[in-house]
Amino acid sequence: MTGVNDSPILEMQGIVKCYGQLRAVDNISLALTRGKLVTFLGPSGCGKTTLLRVISGFTVPDSGRVILDGRDITHITPSARDTAMVFQNYALFPHMTVAGNIGFGLKILKKPKQEITREVERLLALVQMEDLGVRKPHELSGGQQQRVALARALSLHPKILLLDEPLSNLDANLRLLMRGEIRKLHRRLGLTIVFVTHDQEEAMSLSDELVVMDQGVVKQIGSPAEIYETPIDDFVARFIGHINFLPGTVTAIGDDKIILATDHGDLKVEPPPFAISPGDRLKAVVRPESIDIQAADERYGRKGENCFPGRVEVAMYIGAIIRYTVMCGRQTLYVDDADPQYGGIFREGKEVMLYFKDRIHMLKI
Amino acid sequence: MMPFPDRNMFRGQIDDFRHILGNPGLFFATAFITLLILVFIVFPIGSVLIKSFTVASPTVAVSVENVVSPEKKGEAGEVLLSIIRNVKGIEETSLRKEGKTDILLVRFRKDWDDLKGLNDIKRAVIREKALLDPLVADIGYRLGRESAVSLATYLDFFSTGRYYRALRNSIVLATATTLLVIPLAFCFAFLALKGPGALKGPLKIIGLIPLVAPPFIFSLALIIIGGRQGILTKLLHLPFTIYGWQGVILAQVITFLPLGFLMIENVLRSLGSNLEDAACDMRASDIQILNKITIPLAAPGILKAALLVFILSIADFGNPMLIGGDVSFLSTGAYLLWVSENNLEMSAVFCVFLVLPSLIIFIINEYILKGKAYTTIGGKPQHSETRPVAGKILYPMLGVAAVASTMIVFCFGIIFFGAFTKILMVDNTLTLEHFQSPNGFRTLITSLKFSLGAAVIAPLIGIILSYILVRKRIPWKKVLESLALLGFAVPGTVMGIGYILAFNTPPLVLTGTFAILVINEAFRNLSVSLEAGVSKLHQIDPAIEEAAADMGAGAVQTFARIVLPLISSAFIAGFIYTFMVGMIAVSAVIFLITPGNDLAALYILNVAEQGYLGMACAISSMLIAVVLVCLGGLKLLVKYTNTEIF
Repeated sequence: MTGVNDSPILEMQGIVKCYGQLRAVDNISLALTRGKLVTFLGPSGCGKTTLLRVISGFTVPDSGRVILDGRDITHITPSARDTAMVFQNYALFPHMTVAGNIGFGLKILKKPKQEITREVERLLALVQMEDLGVRKPHELSGGQQQRVALARALSLHPKILLLDEPLSNLDANLRLLMRGEIRKLHRRLGLTIVFVTHDQEEAMSLSDELVVMDQGVVKQIGSPAEIYETPIDDFVARFIGHINFLPGTVTAIGDDKIILATDHGDLKVEPPPFAISPGDRLKAVVRPESIDIQAADERYGRKGENCFPGRVEVAMYIGAIIRYTVMCGRQTLYVDDADPQYGGIFREGKEVMLYFKDRIHMLKI
Repeated sequence: MMPFPDRNMFRGQIDDFRHILGNPGLFFATAFITLLILVFIVFPIGSVLIKSFTVASPTVAVSVENVVSPEKKGEAGEVLLSIIRNVKGIEETSLRKEGKTDILLVRFRKDWDDLKGLNDIKRAVIREKALLDPLVADIGYRLGRESAVSLATYLDFFSTGRYYRALRNSIVLATATTLLVIPLAFCFAFLALKGPGALKGPLKIIGLIPLVAPPFIFSLALIIIGGRQGILTKLLHLPFTIYGWQGVILAQVITFLPLGFLMIENVLRSLGSNLEDAACDMRASDIQILNKITIPLAAPGILKAALLVFILSIADFGNPMLIGGDVSFLSTGAYLLWVSENNLEMSAVFCVFLVLPSLIIFIINEYILKGKAYTTIGGKPQHSETRPVAGKILYPMLGVAAVASTMIVFCFGIIFFGAFTKILMVDNTLTLEHFQSPNGFRTLITSLKFSLGAAVIAPLIGIILSYILVRKRIPWKKVLESLALLGFAVPGTVMGIGYILAFNTPPLVLTGTFAILVINEAFRNLSVSLEAGVSKLHQIDPAIEEAAADMGAGAVQTFARIVLPLISSAFIAGFIYTFMVGMIAVSAVIFLITPGNDLAALYILNVAEQGYLGMACAISSMLIAVVLVCLGGLKLLVKYTNTEIF
């Protein structure tokens, strides 16, 4: 890769957008890497769609700059930007055929007819809709409409493809399928894609990079694994998957382990990456699948370190896993057992032992 | 296409009949409403249609009693026949015997003066006294009319210039009005939705205020400006006046702007900005978006608005009446034929041609445009933030809207100031003398009673009917609904003449009463309440009623306790509409009023025609004020009782 291409494709500097009292986007600065699939993730109202519309040009920020490939586009109309958007409800033109929709942008650019036809055919093939060019949008299924919207957005070879919750109108199976398609398309075309969603599973499975947002600010940026394993605060930890918090006080600091005194007892864990001293309050952040659950009376079970007794309150059989709600001291913990067939299912009311690993993500309180 | 009526269809209908006969309550309610619709909507319209195909000729029946005598030479009737054979204007004669009496029925040509014919016959009889006397004991004459099925009136219509010109003029007028109203309404609607924020409110208000005014108020204002004694005419010594084509078109454009505005705004709003955003994202410029996305998508809705404006323009009565000058139109022509010539047959033919365009357009609407409307598919509404409109589009539209707005505001100003000054622009002394019109106040009270009466009856019947149509199983549902809608679809002139024809003779003589006015207005506007009820009922989940039934409520209880409260908003909507329309009604009621039952809007028309423009302005202002006060009061009532409307 050359030096030029290492520069971010899109830079946003100090973007602010208010609607009345509401600060929809509150001073966000962000740089997007060329060729990556980046997802803006957050609950509804967090400002992710507004940020996307700032990139596409449909929303003009109150302050801040948007720089696309070295060019300041903050005050340029959407029609003059090298971005293309797939709208949440696809926004296909109902009075045009599929081919008409895909070729619309090229026609606007006054491309010769043959070139338009050729390009439309290529795009139809790209989204596997070769024979459906003559149909009208209302004659298509939701998934097909989605593909047409994608093809239409790709027709102008945008520098960035913007997807605004594109899968939210599809049913669960189709959503999985389209996720795969978008991922494949991204690989094949090497395009920079910005994807907006509130569905954390969708975000995790699709993205190279996640931008977690809340109340108009960016909470954390990182790969799906980073976000999942080392969330930066309570909000991110809670928003991505289920989580248990075990607050405690640092009582001893050893060479490679520290002791965290929690309500249930002492946890002996690896020290966090930040500096700590005895007496500090910390919070252990534990995913339900990171806790092992075993019968309390099992002789061969691991005992001692990082091992606490509890009682099963609720056992929910989900299929791939069984999710227990375990009363541990005065705290309820979520515990996922991935292979219930192996250990059997613990009935509600059963006394169990919970085992914590020694590598646990820590947050300051 | 549906195959030829198959057995299952009939079986379905038979089942429907069984169902309704098994439900006495439903049966009586349906039968009662059906009867009302048949009597007050179908019968009058049918009467007009029949009248247009009949020709009534004057007749004279001469009865002669034969002398009973052996030496008489021949029958009196035959002698009489030979005597009057040469009387002018006779079309046909027939002779029949009733015992000793011979009755000779003489039918004259339809345009023949019957009294002249009678006198001619009498003269001939006296001249040939010698021949008749020995045979006749007694002789009597009786005038009459004889109707026959004939296309003569239609032939007459097409062969007489002043008749067929009315048809041509009406079509030209409606076309011109429509072609002007629609682009204007589009500009208003476009700007009100996407234009600069500060202009949205004022544009909406200006676009809608003409709704509360009598439909001919702009004619009145234009006459004050450009009539024979008009401000501009005198000031600039104009060689022409506003009367005639220019006046009618101008007045109609302003009159029908609100309707076009409301419909097109609705269309544009339902399209949303999503598709336009998408086109913008695809590099399209604002003009390209307008031409390739907005207008094509709005086209079916715009066409619908255009068709409605066309129909209303043809049916319009007040504007052509006031400002039409010498140009004849169908709606006013039908009235004048009745008033000045008592030519009800030709009047009926005019009515048929008034209905025909509406009918054609209704068919186009029902079968060609149905299901063609585009609305944005799925998804939640996008951000309300709109892109600013490019100057190339904005400024021309603003210009057009500004001119129209100025005219509307100006017209209202003229009416208002005209009411309070001696003679506007000539003698601007402020005065209240125009308000000193006892007749004006009396007609206002009559109008209020009339509108309130109609506004109670129409929603009452309309909503019960909507409930039966939507929720109950009755035979020939679609037919009943269409018949109920007829009263609205048919121009007021037609309903007016229809009521004269239908209720002037037994069994139901209503002409001249106050009741006929109220009934006419209620049934003309029935369909608005009906539609309001139908659309509201479609929003209410039938499960709510099923739940009530599940809790043990009977059909009547369910309707009274569950449906009525839920549907009350539709009732209020129907009430408001009927009331407003009633206060400014002109076209049908003009045929039905009698000196004691004069209505305010008609009185204004009358006063204006006689040249008392100040008084016309004063009563118009009062009428508008009354409508506004009533609407305001209703709004407060709705607010304090927490009933939702629309």
